[in-house]
Amino acid sequence: MSDPMMNATQHATQHATRTPLGPVSLARTASVLVRLSWARTVTPVLLVAMMALLLLPMLFALVFASRGALSGDPVSFLVQRYDQLVCALATPIFALMLGTSAFSAEAEDGTLLYLVTTTTPRWWITTVRVLFAAVGTAFLSAIAVSGTGIIVTGFDDPQGVTRAFTLAVVLGGAAYASLFTLLALTTRRALVGGLLYILLWEGVLSTTFPAIHYLSVRQWTLAVAASLTDAKEGVLVGGPSLTASLIGAASVFVLAIVLGARSLRRPRLSRIGT
Amino acid sequence: MSTSTARADTALEFEHVSHWYGDVVAVNDISCTVGTGITGLLGPNGAGKSTLLQLAAGLLVPASGAVRVYGAPPTNGPSVYRHVALVPEREALPAMMSARAFVAARAAMLGVRDVRGAVDRALALVELDTVADRKVGGFSKGMRQRAKLAAALVHEPSLVLLDEPFNGLDPRQRVHMMRLLEERVAEGTAVLLSSHILEEIEGVANRILVMLSGRLAASGDYRTLRRLMTDQPHTVRVRSSNDRTLASLLMQVPSVLSVELSSEGVVVRTTDYAAFARAVAPAAQHGQLTLFEVEATDESLEHVFAYLVAR
Repeated sequence: MSDPMMNATQHATQHATRTPLGPVSLARTASVLVRLSWARTVTPVLLVAMMALLLLPMLFALVFASRGALSGDPVSFLVQRYDQLVCALATPIFALMLGTSAFSAEAEDGTLLYLVTTTTPRWWITTVRVLFAAVGTAFLSAIAVSGTGIIVTGFDDPQGVTRAFTLAVVLGGAAYASLFTLLALTTRRALVGGLLYILLWEGVLSTTFPAIHYLSVRQWTLAVAASLTDAKEGVLVGGPSLTASLIGAASVFVLAIVLGARSLRRPRLSRIGT
Repeated sequence: MSTSTARADTALEFEHVSHWYGDVVAVNDISCTVGTGITGLLGPNGAGKSTLLQLAAGLLVPASGAVRVYGAPPTNGPSVYRHVALVPEREALPAMMSARAFVAARAAMLGVRDVRGAVDRALALVELDTVADRKVGGFSKGMRQRAKLAAALVHEPSLVLLDEPFNGLDPRQRVHMMRLLEERVAEGTAVLLSSHILEEIEGVANRILVMLSGRLAASGDYRTLRRLMTDQPHTVRVRSSNDRTLASLLMQVPSVLSVELSSEGVVVRTTDYAAFARAVAPAAQHGQLTLFEVEATDESLEHVFAYLVAR
């Protein structure tokens, strides 16, 4: 007695493997995905926007440095600029651009189909894309922080504030990147949604309502910075604990990969046919 | 034993499959099978062909019913793409990549062991090997179609789903693609290709599924279906330098059922369109008339489908 199902599977296998297939290589897949992401991200508009955001805190720093002793306490100045211009503005917007550019464009033009109709595990695709956005965001944010710090205090780094924020924005950048990569996979208007989130949630609500501190990437970033510096500026006290912040960031990272992989099983493709 | 054989030959099976987007029913209670060979999926725009192909590729989950690819749901996981490839209707490709890089990217993500060899073969198959290093962003519509096909065939899947694959191809490329698909079929591949143009399918498919408003209006052997479609009289409008004389001449053509003079010319109903087409020019020549226009007014696929459904 032959099992019909078994026969069907054997039939498929007999005809399917004229080209030998093996396990998918993570390195090759990552290379493909990063190249695709890079091509979608390195566009004139995004490059100009990222450059402007990168230079913004440094311009403030140049003004501060040009006024010499009249400018006041450099640590206080740096903490405020790092918080307002990097943690709440540059880092999330870097992450938004890097996290949404590839998936949003691919879903819109339908080329996402070529990624999801492969044997590559979906979570690999999401993980590589999250890491691409996280590394890019962390790199750009770290340059913004360290460049600003060097302009204001040279290489002295009083109270280790620049070092603390450099490390903190790496973590904050990864959390933002995870969040926005997931947003790109789940909504059609990821860029608009992300900007509203940055302006309203992180820009207004997270600083107004203490209860939201535990759900704010900006506050997690500040909590990490606070744990690494001796500075006691207002924004560095009263936020969530370091543990809560690390758990929050890790949760966002894991959730983005899990939910992102799930959404890639039924990809949100704009019209691919009629 | 015969049941086992039948199941083994079935690459794709739809069992009472329905799917809808909000209130719109895209696919309505479709049951059919697709086996080795070329099966044409015919229907006007909006009939639900692409939805059916996406269901087959596991990109959509049916709202009711079951889809099976080689006996298993295609939504079980990405391993189904070892056997299945979908070529979408949309032309969009990663514009910044060369055709070679695009096909190689697919091959890498499918776990092809010899990526370079497989890519070279696939590009040669679709005759893109000479332009393989050019960016696909600068490709013509026909070249894009062939690049998509190369990307789909790079791992030699046993079930190929093609959504309007002849769009943008010139006649020579069309013949080449038909030959290519026939070669794949000879090696045991099942092909399901959709089109809204009857003539595209009739030359290549040995079995046809006709969809209309989400339903399977007809299915079966092409010749049987074609006979059904040509069973009804055709309506043809002819304009000439003297319509009245032409009308009297056309009345003598054996396949003509009726002739009507209207402000837009002579409206003819004929049982055999091909015979009429052969007869109209000699008739005009006989009457020393100049023909301005000969147009079949009911040749649209929608009309034929409506006829099929009415039956």
